[in-house]
Amino acid sequence: MFVLPPPPRYPAGAYGSAQGGGPLIETNNILTHPSGPEHQLVVGEGTYKLRDDLHLATPPPHPSEAPVHNPNPLATTISPPTVGTKLSLVVLAPRQSSYLRLYRIETTDSTRSQVPLSIRESPYEGQSQASDAGSHGNTNGVAPIEDMRTPAFGEGNPILSLPNSKAPKDPLKQRKPKSNIIKSNSSFVSRVIPHENLSRRLQEHNPNGVYAFANINRALQWLDLSSPIKEEHMTKILFTKAHCLCHDINPITKSPNHIDFVMGFSTSDVIWYEPMSQKYVRINKNGVINPSPIAHIQWLPNNENLFLAAHMDGTLIVYDKEKEDAAFVAEDQSVSTEKPPSDTGRNVSLQIKKSVQSKNQKTNPVAVWKVSNSRINAFSFSPDSRHLAVVTEDGSLRVIDYLKEQLLDLYTSYYGGIICVCWSPDGRYIVTGGQDDLVSIWSLEDSMLVARCQGHNSWVTAVAFDPWRCDERNYRIGSVGEDCRLLLWDFSVGMLHRPRAASVRQRGSVTSATLKAQRSRTDGSTSRLRSNSNLTSASLDGEDVIHPVEPRARTAMLPPVMAKSVDEHPLCWLGFEESCIITSCKNGHLRTWDRPQEGSGSEDEAPSTTSASASASASAGASNA
Amino acid sequence: MSSFFGRFKPGTGPASPASGSTPTKKDPNAPQPTPLEKLLADAGPIRADGSDKFFGFENFGSTCYCNSIIQCLYYSVPFRDQVINFPTRSPLETLNRAPTPLPRLNTDMPSTANGQNAALSPSKARTSMPSPNQPSPRKPATTPGGTNTPQGTKPEDNKESPEYKKKLAMAAGPILNMDYENSRSYGMAESLFTSLKDIFEAIIAHRSRIGVVSPNKFLEILRRENEMFRTAMHQDAHEFLNLLLNEVVENVEQFSKQLSSRSEAGNGNLETGLANAISSVVSTVSALESGPTFSATNTGWVHELFEGTLTSETRCLTCENTSQRDEAFLDLSVDLEQHSSVTSCLRKFSEEEMLCERNKFHCDNCGGLQEAEKRMKIKRLPRILALHLKRFKYTEDLQRLQKLFHRVVYPYYLRLFNTTDDAEDPDRLYELYAVVVHIGGGPYHGHYVSIIKTQDRGWLLFDDEMVEPVDKSYVRNFFGGENVLACAYVLFYQETTLEAMQKEQEAEGLAAAKREFESEKEAVGVAAKQNGIGNGNGNGNWNGNWNGNGNGNGNGNGNGNLQNGHHHLHQAATPVAEDADHFVNLDHAATAPPLLADQNPLENTNSTPIVPVLKPKKSNIQSKKERSREEKERKAAEKELEKQAKQKWKEMETRRRQNYKKQEDDYRAALALSKLTKAEEDKRIEKPHDEHAGGKDKENGHGIMGGGLSRFRQSSMSLRHKPKFWLAKDKNEYDLRESPNAKDLTTPRPESGSSGTPDKPEKRKSRFSLGRKKSSLFQ
Repeated sequence: MFVLPPPPRYPAGAYGSAQGGGPLIETNNILTHPSGPEHQLVVGEGTYKLRDDLHLATPPPHPSEAPVHNPNPLATTISPPTVGTKLSLVVLAPRQSSYLRLYRIETTDSTRSQVPLSIRESPYEGQSQASDAGSHGNTNGVAPIEDMRTPAFGEGNPILSLPNSKAPKDPLKQRKPKSNIIKSNSSFVSRVIPHENLSRRLQEHNPNGVYAFANINRALQWLDLSSPIKEEHMTKILFTKAHCLCHDINPITKSPNHIDFVMGFSTSDVIWYEPMSQKYVRINKNGVINPSPIAHIQWLPNNENLFLAAHMDGTLIVYDKEKEDAAFVAEDQSVSTEKPPSDTGRNVSLQIKKSVQSKNQKTNPVAVWKVSNSRINAFSFSPDSRHLAVVTEDGSLRVIDYLKEQLLDLYTSYYGGIICVCWSPDGRYIVTGGQDDLVSIWSLEDSMLVARCQGHNSWVTAVAFDPWRCDERNYRIGSVGEDCRLLLWDFSVGMLHRPRAASVRQRGSVTSATLKAQRSRTDGSTSRLRSNSNLTSASLDGEDVIHPVEPRARTAMLPPVMAKSVDEHPLCWLGFEESCIITSCKNGHLRTWDRPQEGSGSEDEAPSTTSASASASASAGASNA
Repeated sequence: MSSFFGRFKPGTGPASPASGSTPTKKDPNAPQPTPLEKLLADAGPIRADGSDKFFGFENFGSTCYCNSIIQCLYYSVPFRDQVINFPTRSPLETLNRAPTPLPRLNTDMPSTANGQNAALSPSKARTSMPSPNQPSPRKPATTPGGTNTPQGTKPEDNKESPEYKKKLAMAAGPILNMDYENSRSYGMAESLFTSLKDIFEAIIAHRSRIGVVSPNKFLEILRRENEMFRTAMHQDAHEFLNLLLNEVVENVEQFSKQLSSRSEAGNGNLETGLANAISSVVSTVSALESGPTFSATNTGWVHELFEGTLTSETRCLTCENTSQRDEAFLDLSVDLEQHSSVTSCLRKFSEEEMLCERNKFHCDNCGGLQEAEKRMKIKRLPRILALHLKRFKYTEDLQRLQKLFHRVVYPYYLRLFNTTDDAEDPDRLYELYAVVVHIGGGPYHGHYVSIIKTQDRGWLLFDDEMVEPVDKSYVRNFFGGENVLACAYVLFYQETTLEAMQKEQEAEGLAAAKREFESEKEAVGVAAKQNGIGNGNGNGNWNGNWNGNGNGNGNGNGNGNLQNGHHHLHQAATPVAEDADHFVNLDHAATAPPLLADQNPLENTNSTPIVPVLKPKKSNIQSKKERSREEKERKAAEKELEKQAKQKWKEMETRRRQNYKKQEDDYRAALALSKLTKAEEDKRIEKPHDEHAGGKDKENGHGIMGGGLSRFRQSSMSLRHKPKFWLAKDKNEYDLRESPNAKDLTTPRPESGSSGTPDKPEKRKSRFSLGRKKSSLFQ
């Protein structure tokens, strides 16, 4: 009597690597409402309940691109990069634009009072962006966090600001891309399937409701999450073979009849898409500017036209949605001079292949920075729009002043690559997750690792702050991983003042002092000498920039306040909304978890109590380690 | 039963070139270099340390467990060095050895080697002997279980198939027939260690960089001394690793003990070799003793490399008494969980565990079986960390072992969280350098291969006779997961430093960047011109580019980012006269991961077959013809199978989709939409059926597979044999360890000279390999 082994399928559901997943090919999304205790998240503030599970249909391979499956499990062919479902969310109502709206400022702590100011600044900046672009930054000798006004990217370059001033001529009438995606005969786009009642649904859409854009395999779906028939897509675009790996919505140009949406593809192409008018433009066509796939894409903060794409060869490229492609050749200065140091040791400076200050701004790219030789996994802009955190497959976290095109800090993971990164709403902390199964918290001011959060059973694929549960001293962090679990962490400033951490902190503050001095020094010099990127990068030596790996014994370990398996498949995205938490997995399940229904009274207490216990156990954890 | 594919009968390999499909082989310029040969095209003089030798190992029927492990050990640099250097030979001997690299090679070896080597590697023809004589068919008479079956026709025709490549490797040679033993020349008695040493030495001494080793003697000794491995059944690679390491320890200890007793006796008539050996042992010993972490009992270099110490802390819940015990381990066996990481498995390994019910703890303090809490942490970190992922789990209800297909991710770099507070260097950084992969649906059959990072040639895939360069990312294909047959089984991590890591990453990145830079320059022009054309023909473009650029870049592309920039430069310098060869070879190169394939890897999936033996000019046409013919045949056969499988498959599918009726319809619509898709789907589903439903295996007309029945008969044999072992291991684990006897087992016994009586492999295993069964798992 033998039980046959499970029927094997060669190409397998190997997440990430395999094309098309298993044979479950559906063309319709499925909405289910699982309930029960296994679909609840119990945290200090109450219970999060699963509202629904929206399973996005995985499209069948395109007929012309049907992968020929090699029955050899050892086949050495490389499959194209693909990712699980990620979401870009947008609420069209104007004042809803920034989640920072809900940022609690009433509990402002005297010692840190200047910090949230700059945060509060950013939403206004967003609205008054046009005037901001023309204004000037008074940055000389002022440390960034104390500065109220964020200069616009590339503002020192008059050539670059020309199109900027042209754009907002008629604020109601925004520029749309050129080509109609439905009528397109491009071989890049396979099919576009608008919903049969698209126009009616657009009209009925609640302006406070959430639109979501979700990628799955070679499809991109536009969903209305507030609609009663949310499982029916607004529009579905099927690409021929390219997989959309990342996408982003421009928060400052959205309006009831306009959304600027960019996508980065496995084929290295970029598409700027306007879903309301179904228009699009293809940028970096056939990889003419950079031929490697795009791992992450995001609009520059407070910018209507520019977006930043992270190519997997370690290059960050700023594109302008309005500009034509042109074959890119690295602009002389940096390439030749940066090579020697990179041969000998670590490449500690940003290799500027094309500066934003370049005089040649007629065509894309606007700026090109070679950040690393290994693959960039993700990046994130700081809330004050000054800094850029970039994480790579070789396990480094880089903090870049992208306005000055300068590398500020280079940290290394405990081990393994770093997969995801985000900023705290006040911009003081950077949180990363990676292949060491850890969520790591880094302090920008102190230029140091603050704590490691241990609790995931596998790689951490997405991290995010819950701005609705963050205040001056307490932060709520969420993380999801390959272990299919969602973990919530409460991290408080108080735990930094623990006696045990004092020695570490001492060390840190020394660093921060030197760093600040160094920053202001470069601040002074770069505003004048910006065009010469050599000088600025040379003024930074590795000593200040590179931070060593902290041993375990010297680092606080933070335990999670909640850990729960929320899906059957590895998770790959996490988002906090005002009313819910949304997770998505590699198989296309979008799960919405409603926040606890309890009154607002308990809400104020909950975080402090949980964080108190967290910090207490954190110190316990640290002493254990 | 041989490999998982079972189509290639290893023993017949040598005979194949004569009778098989490769008649044009004699022309020394004609054959195409394999990806490995291309990788090595620029290699300088052969090094003495063996780091640039890439030999496959012949499979004698289910000996892939042995091949994969030996390969991993060979590329464990310190281990290889120690094996080579122990015991040290006299200078006289070394001198004698110099002119004839292999002192006891069987007589037909050299000619075989020269001829075949020259024949198959044209790029090296300049340097090697110009004797393109027909490869002398080696008699496989000595090979255990070797039978002369008629040549198979079908599978070998697929130039992409591993079977074909293996056959080719055997045909190409040189074949190191390790059916001799050399142990007397360094004064040791024949043992697994000496035959392993003989293999290593033969590989290093041979003038060819590539070839195939036939480890006859090694298997002979292994089977003579271990009943477990005597059958031709599928064996457990981890058990073999553990046995081998323990054997090596024992052999070395026995030898040193023998020597010291002899030298104490003051026997004057010692051979010079022995004298040298003594001195070497003494020096080894002293070196080890001077080592900072070395424990008082000197147990030799294997321990120094692989051994770590676990501290198990047991707290009796009755008397609150805590007892501690240090245990040595040579490898760690960790339990797996679905969707976890190696890091987490290791942490789970050290989590607190309750000893209760059947697992109660015998407390010396209370004097009886008591409930207790136990946890094991690593006190001394090994230099080489061999991690055994326990994919074969005994399931109570089925009364047999089952393979766990859990997806377990492993990073390229690792640190251990589960160290004791007083551990030395608790933040030690490890790098992954070898992965043993098990391919198959269950523990009783399947195939092992290893993927190994070599010193300066990047990652290579070692599949029995075949050695092939692979991309670094290839290593990540074996995390496992639902319906993924090939998953990592043993992981080898070695200590490294942050600096070394960064240096390597930098080098990797630079090499990649350099290639990209070059390609970018070309791509810009081409791509610009072709903006209007869809990228469906992307691959064509790239190939065009490479061709136009000559062989230097072509090679670089084919090899992925395996070589560093240095290598690349050298390739560019290859004479232009050889371009013709390389043009044709580009098809072939696609089997190795092309760096830029990111844009168009789909085309590569279906990449054109290798045409290894035809003249370059013709090969393209012929290959096309062949391909199309092949295609037709295959499709016809597939349709047959499809019909059979379809019915079954549909039933299964419908059942599965009962809840998704609507989707089913949609699915059909989708299928109808693209016929190709459907064919693909069917093939995908039905192929594996093929593999497992046994008898349907039409393809291997020559197969030793002999259909499913015999296969299951074999597994039934192993059922009788194996679960006993595994049961014993899991159930008695603690008893073994906690019993006084366990102390004896865990403490090194240099005097245990009884070199492996067949009935105690279990004990020896539990001696060093520490696995543990978790009674409850943390959620």
